[in-house]
Amino acid sequence: MTLGIKCDTAIVGAGCAGVVAAHILADHGLDILVMDETPHTGGQSLRSLPWPQNPSIFTGLNRPGIRRLPGRIKTAPVPIMHRTQVIGIDGHLEILAEKNGKEIICITPQAVLLATGARETFVPFPGWTLPGVISTGAAQILMKGSGILPADNMVAAGLGPFLTAVSAEYLSNRGRLLSIADFGKMQGKLGMLTHGFHQFSKLLEGTRYLAKILGSKVPFHHQTMVLEATGTKELERVVLARVDNQGKIIAGTGKIYTTGCLAIGWGFAPNLELPLQAGCAILHDPELGGWVTAVNDAFESSIPGIFCAGEITGIAGASKSIIEGELAARGILEKLGREVDENRMAVLQRQRKHVLAFGAYFNRLHRVPDTVFCAIPDTVTICRCENITMGDIKTAVKKGYDTPALLKKALRCGMGFCQGRTCGPVINRILAAVTNRPAGDIPMLPVRMPVKPVSVRSFLQ
Amino acid sequence: MNRDLRIPGIIRGPEIHVTVNGRKITAFQGETLLAALTAAGMKTLGIGQSHDDTRGAVCGMGVCYQCLMTIDGQLDQRACMTVVHDGMTIETQGDLP
Repeated sequence: MTLGIKCDTAIVGAGCAGVVAAHILADHGLDILVMDETPHTGGQSLRSLPWPQNPSIFTGLNRPGIRRLPGRIKTAPVPIMHRTQVIGIDGHLEILAEKNGKEIICITPQAVLLATGARETFVPFPGWTLPGVISTGAAQILMKGSGILPADNMVAAGLGPFLTAVSAEYLSNRGRLLSIADFGKMQGKLGMLTHGFHQFSKLLEGTRYLAKILGSKVPFHHQTMVLEATGTKELERVVLARVDNQGKIIAGTGKIYTTGCLAIGWGFAPNLELPLQAGCAILHDPELGGWVTAVNDAFESSIPGIFCAGEITGIAGASKSIIEGELAARGILEKLGREVDENRMAVLQRQRKHVLAFGAYFNRLHRVPDTVFCAIPDTVTICRCENITMGDIKTAVKKGYDTPALLKKALRCGMGFCQGRTCGPVINRILAAVTNRPAGDIPMLPVRMPVKPVSVRSFLQ
Repeated sequence: MNRDLRIPGIIRGPEIHVTVNGRKITAFQGETLLAALTAAGMKTLGIGQSHDDTRGAVCGMGVCYQCLMTIDGQLDQRACMTVVHDGMTIETQGDLP
């Protein structure tokens, strides 16, 4: 165990927000330390092949501010501590992290920037635990990060612009896409046009993906979702069905596809484990994508010295993360007694307002209705780690276990390896839906250290 | 497996081999274990609560812990977060059939 590594600022997460902040803080002569759990730099949105001989295949980056970023990432200001997972932060800003899966380190910075990003969320359905059912993110990571198709053929289903992006990427790599099932309406996509003025490049990107899909003649079904996935031991068939305007499945519309791969994705949820464990206040806003960390104008959380940037302050994509990375870095400089360029701050705040408006539009449009969560059949597994079903949850709720923490005590859901990372956001929505409460009335599952499972061996080194 | 899932036209790292449950599979230095297993057509990586409850990778980004395997003797490692190296030995967990 290495104790007491001192630095001015510790940054958790080397995605868009973390890397941008690292550059600015390093430019100002601060001693910084950047940690990231993955073996690469750039987070989930800036994945690239590990072999530098290939031309850069960063996709979706033709936006101002992002275009310059990949180059800056290649010349990170300080060596990034990869394969390092932060397992806890205490009130005195002491950070415990596990490095390379075999060593515990303790860091005592003056300020912390949490830029932990987001993960995908899902609507569970019968058969979603079968091998072959993957997330749309996993499909993209295999292609972008390792140059491998997730499967020879697949069906893609879910909700949101990411579904369109991954479908288009799979087609571009000559994957055989059998069908796309988008829960949303086609009209929703057209509504993007009204937001096109400030976000023209995003609009262009979306149009390019759509053109790719429409040109391919792959059936692109709107108001359609997965009814069930079946197979013995592995996925063999997917049944897609139409939904009505309330999001209810229309009986008799099921269509069967034979495939060994189904990519699903229903949007994103911020990775709030570290802010929650540290005690940072959170707030609920459907336009920001649900529960997010509360921050002030300097991006400082309710815990002095802990700053937050990127998806954990609101789901809106890479542009917002880049802007907030810079804003948070300037907030940290101010906190540490450095001078800050007020004009630059004002420009960034203006840019942020535009991306937030665009994000709010998307989050509103892609809010999954309560009816969808109410309609999950009782036999469907919700907590994959502990095999807790929808029926188990409904029975426990009737007995009064009606918060995530109570459900965890009653059923063990959220106690497995993933610590509720997969089922947590789903259970919050199920609880709101079946008890007819607003989502903001359902608190998040409490988080304790270690926020990621670590081997005892690491502590003994 | 009737089609190579590796996207053509990409310059990859050196070809290496890893051993999964005693079976040798080809991989390329730099790719993740999950990528190598996917290319080898291996989808079932573990089990849930019973032998019939087979599981495979879901998130591919270290969140869901559904791809836990024993890698070079170390229990419960995520295949999606592990980069392959030549001679890596991998075993599935939970007595997979």
